[in-house]
Amino acid sequence: MVFSSMTFLFGFLPVLLAFYFLLPQRFRRGRNGVLLVFSLLFYAWGGLRLLGLMAVSIAVNYCGGLLAAPGRRFRRWAMWGAVAVNLALLGWFKYAGFLAENLVLLGLPVEPPEVTLPIGISFFTFQGMSYVLDVYRGEAPAERSPLRVALYIALFPQLVAGPIVRYTTVAGEIASRRETAGDAADGGVRFCVGLAKKMLLANALGQVADAAFRSRTVLSTAMAWLGALAYTGQIYFDFSGYSDMAIGLGRVFGFHFLENFNYPYLSRSATEFWRRWHISLSSWFRDYVYIPLGGSRCGPARQAGNILAVWLLTGLWHGAAWNFLLWGLYYAALLLGERFLWGRALERAPAALRHGYALFFIVVGWVLFRAESLADVSLMLRALFGISAPGGLGSGEALYYFKEFRWELLLAVPAALPLKGLLERRLNRRAREGSRPAAALLAWGPPALALALLALSAVKLVSSTFNPFIYFRF
Amino acid sequence: MKKLADRVFLLCAAAALLSVPALTLARVSARQSLYYENRTLADKPAWDWEAVLEGDWFSSWEEWYSDRVPGRTTLLRLTAKADLDLLKRPVVNDVVVSGDKLLPFLPYGRWDTRVHRTNAEPFAEDLGAFSRRVEELGGRFWFVGIPEQGPYFYDHYPPELENRRWNSTAANAAFFQALEDHGVAYVDMEAVYDAQGRPEAYYSAVDHHYRWRGALAAYEAVLDRINGDAGWALPVMREADLNIRALPNPYLGSRNRKLYGLWPSEERAEIGELKQPIPFTRKDDGQACGAEVYALPGSEEQLVTYGLYMGGDHGETVIRTNRPELPNALIFGDSFTNAMETLLYTSFNETRSLDLRYYEEKSLREYVEEYRPEVVLCVRDNTAFYTSGGNARVWTDETPGA
Repeated sequence: MVFSSMTFLFGFLPVLLAFYFLLPQRFRRGRNGVLLVFSLLFYAWGGLRLLGLMAVSIAVNYCGGLLAAPGRRFRRWAMWGAVAVNLALLGWFKYAGFLAENLVLLGLPVEPPEVTLPIGISFFTFQGMSYVLDVYRGEAPAERSPLRVALYIALFPQLVAGPIVRYTTVAGEIASRRETAGDAADGGVRFCVGLAKKMLLANALGQVADAAFRSRTVLSTAMAWLGALAYTGQIYFDFSGYSDMAIGLGRVFGFHFLENFNYPYLSRSATEFWRRWHISLSSWFRDYVYIPLGGSRCGPARQAGNILAVWLLTGLWHGAAWNFLLWGLYYAALLLGERFLWGRALERAPAALRHGYALFFIVVGWVLFRAESLADVSLMLRALFGISAPGGLGSGEALYYFKEFRWELLLAVPAALPLKGLLERRLNRRAREGSRPAAALLAWGPPALALALLALSAVKLVSSTFNPFIYFRF
Repeated sequence: MKKLADRVFLLCAAAALLSVPALTLARVSARQSLYYENRTLADKPAWDWEAVLEGDWFSSWEEWYSDRVPGRTTLLRLTAKADLDLLKRPVVNDVVVSGDKLLPFLPYGRWDTRVHRTNAEPFAEDLGAFSRRVEELGGRFWFVGIPEQGPYFYDHYPPELENRRWNSTAANAAFFQALEDHGVAYVDMEAVYDAQGRPEAYYSAVDHHYRWRGALAAYEAVLDRINGDAGWALPVMREADLNIRALPNPYLGSRNRKLYGLWPSEERAEIGELKQPIPFTRKDDGQACGAEVYALPGSEEQLVTYGLYMGGDHGETVIRTNRPELPNALIFGDSFTNAMETLLYTSFNETRSLDLRYYEEKSLREYVEEYRPEVVLCVRDNTAFYTSGGNARVWTDETPGA
């Protein structure tokens, strides 16, 4: 099930809210039980057969956590065992087909397995592994209640598209939390904003991007840039919108997840971009791969090797295809360059130049990410730089798509900037100085805007058939 | 103040979340079709374990729900209104609205048009075999190719939009060449219309069909061709034989229907009535019905659609004029036949019309073998030349609806 659907918004959610909040707050286990049952239903909506995989993931990580806790015999084996099973599940469902296809290309007699990728497997597998690893390291207590581990892994807001929540972030709140009207309202507002990002911006920009990436025979330089920029907007509003919805829903049920995005397109380097983009994934790789490998506390060659390893894995995590590996290598090269070659020069450059530098490489990176094959990567890159673009420099197609989606393209720019925070700070200052209109705007503005956005999103939901979530395939 | 705002927000959000499902459930059986979307509502998903395991059963509920959401048509209409008047999008609901006609949006792309010759072969082969069979049975067969409104008004597309003229020209030429190679007699109405100066009045600005005058020109061209080829002197109704009048009713064309009728249009549907009426009887799908070829509206305010002509699509229509000195005709094809049928019956003793998308009793071959008409016409628009199924199933023993 996706958040931006009629069945979720006007079916699943109101029924869940009714069951959940009709139970008195003191029945914490009851409320957790309702959340778990609905979370499993949410996941089963994609196919009942998926529940088996979810059950295995919960069981493995629950047992792994218990057996890997400090003081247990063979705890190292238990930790590695749980990690191995998690990776085996991920490997089979996500990478077996890709591996087999490439072995076939090498001439080996391999039959590619017909495996359907279960939605969200990369997210909940990483979440499960982080629990076992944190318990093993003594950073989190081993949870004795299987229901709490199940709720942690299956909790529906972040189940299928993140953010990847650490057990330490929510362990206390699973056991004991307090749902308040203030939190519910703030969460609701955040959810509506996220839904609007998805329905009003990401979906529209996605149509431009899709047109550009399938344009092939008539692709012009102008269309390639329009498509690349549109995809840059689409993936941000799609994914950050989903994170907003997840964080907002978490707040409604009393959970406080960490932020997953921090205005990434404001970055002044690729390194900074990855501190602002999909923060939960970057920090996962930092804490569980990069630092254990030695991180930055080693010689340049080893550091380079560590960065390369992390980025190859990051690329692969996003998808089993060569363009994702290329995308990972691309960022590895950029980060290595910034660390060892041009980083200092970049720091001394004017801010505008640094923003331009970062944005340029981010946009080109998304082209590698979005293309469906290496041939498409090559075509798009050549078109971007005006090298034998089949459609020439400009085209009617680019002009049409710009005209058709000009409002969304224009709105995407301020929507990707931290204007909300800026406005809030100003209003807060004026409210503190005694301005009643400022105080009223601070109190009533966000809920009113959220309701308007909810209405517009619902209208789009009914009228639109173009509604794919990008991060579901990871 | 924040506390109050929070509580008001929560109340409003809860009201929205609860009222939509409540109203949907309350009105669940209120209607069965969506007029402007021109379709029936999605069926309630049937329970099926395989679909439940794979998730298809759950996802089917989305369409069911979305179709029944209260105020769906109003919401869609508002969206279209905003797209048209506020956001000024050049294309709304896949209809090009930035020119002076409503035209279909055609995706961009280029491909090798030589492929059409190969693609046309199976269709032409079937039509050739069918034509020979009609001749064996003592009849004559003509294929009538009619341009659809989009290709007809190709030069009305704004310059940045794709009109695919390069493709439709090649596709039509390849199709007619293939017909010629297989010995099928055909009338290329685009060439006829071009010879007449491609009059704008022949085609609707808001519908994918031609207007009644375009159908009249097609009827005349086809009858002239039949008379010429067969050496007959079938009566042909000309403009002078008809009282042509425009109905006062607003005309809702198929393209404007996709815009919820919001495109401002003064276009009116035309009809032509015989100055010297020819008495006839009519049966639709075996049932006797009124001797009318126009489904005239009850009042002047009522919306009129292309369904005005012959009352829309029927599996089988039989019109008898009881003039045994004239041959019997069979016409089959999609909805472009309808406007032509309002005239065709005047030239034949009996005119039968089949729409193989709906007719299910027997195959076309069986029908022809039993009925043995002297004249057989296939009328298709050029966007349907390369589509299989329906009225393309001319040389198969399977019944069309199977």
